[in-house]
Amino acid sequence: MPMRVERILSSREARANAIYNIVAITIAVIFLFPIYWLVMMSFKSDAEIFSPVLTYFPRDFTIEPWLLNIRDKEFFMSLRNSCIIATMSMCLSMLIGIPAAYGMGRYKVPGRRIMLLAFLVSQMLPPSLMLTPMYLIFNKMGLLGTFWAPVVAISSGSIPFIVIILRSYFNSIPRSLDDAARIDGCNAIQSFFMIMLPAIKTGIITVAVISFLGGWNDLAYSMTFNVMPEMRPLTANIYKFQSKYGTRWNAIMAYGAILVTPVVLAFVFLQKYIVGGLTAGAVKE
Amino acid sequence: MQAPQGKRRLNISMTTKTKLEGLLFVLPGFLYTVAVLGYPLVYNFLLSLRNVDVRTFVRGTSTFVGLANFKALFSNPTFLLVLKNTFVFTFGSLVFQFTIGFALALLFAKRFKLAGPVRGLLLIAYMMPMSVTAMLGKNIFGVSGLINDLLLKVGLIQQPVEWLVNTSTAMIGVVAMNCWVGIPFNMLILTSGLTTIPDSLYDSAAVDGATGWQRFRYITLPLLRPAILAVLMLGFIYTFKAFDLMFVMTAGGPLNSTDVLGTYAYQLSFTKYQFSLGAATGMVLFCCLLVVGLFYLRLIAAEED
Repeated sequence: MPMRVERILSSREARANAIYNIVAITIAVIFLFPIYWLVMMSFKSDAEIFSPVLTYFPRDFTIEPWLLNIRDKEFFMSLRNSCIIATMSMCLSMLIGIPAAYGMGRYKVPGRRIMLLAFLVSQMLPPSLMLTPMYLIFNKMGLLGTFWAPVVAISSGSIPFIVIILRSYFNSIPRSLDDAARIDGCNAIQSFFMIMLPAIKTGIITVAVISFLGGWNDLAYSMTFNVMPEMRPLTANIYKFQSKYGTRWNAIMAYGAILVTPVVLAFVFLQKYIVGGLTAGAVKE
Repeated sequence: MQAPQGKRRLNISMTTKTKLEGLLFVLPGFLYTVAVLGYPLVYNFLLSLRNVDVRTFVRGTSTFVGLANFKALFSNPTFLLVLKNTFVFTFGSLVFQFTIGFALALLFAKRFKLAGPVRGLLLIAYMMPMSVTAMLGKNIFGVSGLINDLLLKVGLIQQPVEWLVNTSTAMIGVVAMNCWVGIPFNMLILTSGLTTIPDSLYDSAAVDGATGWQRFRYITLPLLRPAILAVLMLGFIYTFKAFDLMFVMTAGGPLNSTDVLGTYAYQLSFTKYQFSLGAATGMVLFCCLLVVGLFYLRLIAAEED
């Protein structure tokens, strides 16, 4: 008898499991439909784009809209700028943010409550507020028209994020590990690089991905600080692109699809790092 | 605890030494934050009390004008509209993204095979560049776009609506796109809150004959309170500062109907070059964020202790 009960229960569970899976897939299809739309529009021909009947799948599938972007010299310049800005801001924020997170997580630093407060507050300061003062300050410092202007500004948002996420990672490393390192004659710097960093590899990957995407997604800083199109990333040149191609939505959508690609790749290959990091960064632990 | 004398002394000297050591690690990050965010913030405040525009900035002849910029803003009907828009946009987004995000969180907190992967996929909407989201919004809310096509097919509308051309409907378009970004974020935070509630609580409530609603009302809601508060406050902070979405999707138009504090400050500073008025608008934005931010920090501080 008990066996029977168990079997009935598990078949009920299996059915519940199947229903949940179906509901989840349905939600995903509806919710992600705009992304399908973006990709699908980018493969439509001009004739189809301008036809009054809206098609939900390209009638004559073409890669012309993508080629239109790829043949454009300016497009590659913007792509290069996006990569430079994202990489530079990732490196700068990790260089400064990781040691700070280590100090906050492992040491009872004097004034650490104040500093934690400063990091938490700075996470809330939006670009739209910082644009005006930063523009005038960078102007005086001669930073406008260089990659440093957006990079320094973007990093000011990523660094507090890194500190808040990695603080708890560093905190969770057992105390005995660095005691052992010290006994073996490691100094603080050596134990940081050789013991601590490898111990929180997952956390490092998380902040690397998220701060790279932070730089990649930036529009406000790059657009405001660098007026010349040759310095602007893809996000900021969308505007120019829209006026250039007018209502040629297929080309604009291909442009958008290229911009989304790193985000999708990050989710396909590094999903677990991102999901954990985003949760920890928003509400701690 | 019962450590020998010698070891104890060693500990004390270790702590003072390591405190300084820790400071060396933290200091660059702290100083960077103070220099790159703190200084501009103070600069912005002083700027909002002067009359800096492109002329006085170049010549260096700006003067202190007290609260004149704020008086000018609050007696300007456009600014008041912008202020109202910002709140309408924020609360409109919060209501929908929280409700839908919560419903999804309840589903994805269940243990089933595809829960993790699908939940992760939905996050793409949250992580993709806002400028692309905005562009996509401009397309699907266009006259011959996806939204009109679907609504016509279902029969909810008889004629295509010019969503982003009418002052009365443009806000709906930007709120919808913003919810699309906000829903996965709400879902993520609330799911992780839900998974901390032990199953045993639900099991024993079920044994006691509690209905599904009662279990939700008396177990889920109270235990989820910190996560709910956090997600609402963070949602407010993230939504209130909106910029990219409007800038690309509607440029604040038509007739300022989707202009919010962020885009308005930008226009004042960088299309009209009235830096001080832009800075004053920024200060209003900052004060609103500060009020909610302080509540959020208190919540965090309570968790910290």
